[in-house]
Amino acid sequence: MIRFENVSKTYKNGTSALKDITLDIDKGEFVFLVGASGSGKTTFLRLLLREELPDRGRILEAGRDIGDLPKWRVPYLRRNIGCVFQDFRLLPNKSVFENVAFALEVIGRPRSTVESQVPQILELVGLTDKSKNLPHELSGGEQQRVAIARAFVNRPLILLADEPTGNLDPTNSESIMALLERINRTGTTVVMATHDKGLVDRMRRRVVELDRGEMIRDQVRGVYGIDEVGVL
Amino acid sequence: MRVYFRYAFKETFSNLWRNRMMTVAAVLTVAVSLSLVGGALLLKQSAAQASFQWQQGTRVTVWMQPTASTGEISTIKTQLATMPIVKDCVYFTQAQDFQEAKKLLPLPESSVLTVAEVPSSYQCVPTVPSDAFLVRSTLSNEPGIYEVTAPNKQIREMNKVIRVMQIIFLALAGVLFFSAMVLILNTIRMAIFSRRREVSVMKLVGATNWFIRIPYITEGFIQGLLGSIVAVGAVTALHTWYPLPVQFKLSTADLLGSNAVVLIMGAVIGSVGSAIAIRRFLDV
Repeated sequence: MIRFENVSKTYKNGTSALKDITLDIDKGEFVFLVGASGSGKTTFLRLLLREELPDRGRILEAGRDIGDLPKWRVPYLRRNIGCVFQDFRLLPNKSVFENVAFALEVIGRPRSTVESQVPQILELVGLTDKSKNLPHELSGGEQQRVAIARAFVNRPLILLADEPTGNLDPTNSESIMALLERINRTGTTVVMATHDKGLVDRMRRRVVELDRGEMIRDQVRGVYGIDEVGVL
Repeated sequence: MRVYFRYAFKETFSNLWRNRMMTVAAVLTVAVSLSLVGGALLLKQSAAQASFQWQQGTRVTVWMQPTASTGEISTIKTQLATMPIVKDCVYFTQAQDFQEAKKLLPLPESSVLTVAEVPSSYQCVPTVPSDAFLVRSTLSNEPGIYEVTAPNKQIREMNKVIRVMQIIFLALAGVLFFSAMVLILNTIRMAIFSRRREVSVMKLVGATNWFIRIPYITEGFIQGLLGSIVAVGAVTALHTWYPLPVQFKLSTADLLGSNAVVLIMGAVIGSVGSAIAIRRFLDV
């Protein structure tokens, strides 16, 4: 589903964000991206969204080199990638329903699709009874669930999550993880950047660790810290 | 497609409403600027039409000395009659010109005027209007003639004044045209700024660039068009109700032509202004 071939990215100020990354992620996989701040996790996600282009190497998504896409095709690429952030990025003056519906409306889906899909996805994330509320009336965990609903309502092939539990307490983090797992079980590839050690250790999924732009670990059924491997 | 039109329509009008103060300022600036443009256009057309009509009715007036003898007067008469460039002439006696002068001059002057002081005159029509000058230069030095006047000079003076006014109008219009464009650009920039969250979400979920841009382009277009509609109204009203001399009145077709130019310019100001704003401030 996703393939990085010798990908390097250096920013204009000289910061080397990624160094020679080669990596394959299969369809339906759940991958944790771990590493300290500034290790290149966010750059990794931005490259997948084609918000940046790599300096060297190439990135394939669904078998296509995304560097070859003409600029006008980029929005169509993004329709296949859902995105969730630490700060939710909901529209404050729109209700829960409208926030999710917005994602379908702006890609030109007809009203009938909006009216059938949005309630369905709100049920999946467990927010049917809050559909008329505004974001500021919800808890952090609920807001993140709205954001996930928005990212997933178009049934993308890939879901990217950048520290989705970064602003949440452990209980809410658990429920977000449960939701991401459910989405992953529908066959959606999930790539999640995180600092949350406990979560990674409990989930036992594939872990890719970055350190100052280099991939220092790629482990199936991994845990957060490398030193703990010996303990197990 | 229908979904999109509904969306673009809703977005455009909510933007216009949200920034209504700026919208009003932009629309009024466009209106003033284009009224001047429209005014200059009409002025030019009116001037052309009026001078054409004046030329058609060109008269050369040969004023005799009040003291001219009967002999001199009849000599001039035969001279005029034999000139091929003069079509025909009418003689006005001193008494007739005196009546005319009393009508034209204000009271204190006309009350001291006597018949003996008023020149008699020949009012002549040249065969070709532009020959009026030639008549004048041929006759000026003949004995008994006081002055030969042709209206060409006045027409030229008039045209010069009109041309200067036109240049002033167009220069003012140019300055206002520019500021109208900047104002529209700024309103669009504010609209983009107040919608930056929406725009970033739209980019994230894969809305196409044109989908994001079109409401802003439409907004600028509408502002320009509204301004030009106000300008067209103002210019038409002025032309219809201002008591212009009849020679200056334009036909409906001429008026429609200049209004069309004004409308197109309004639409262009709006679209160009918003296009620049989008290029500079909407990062898609």
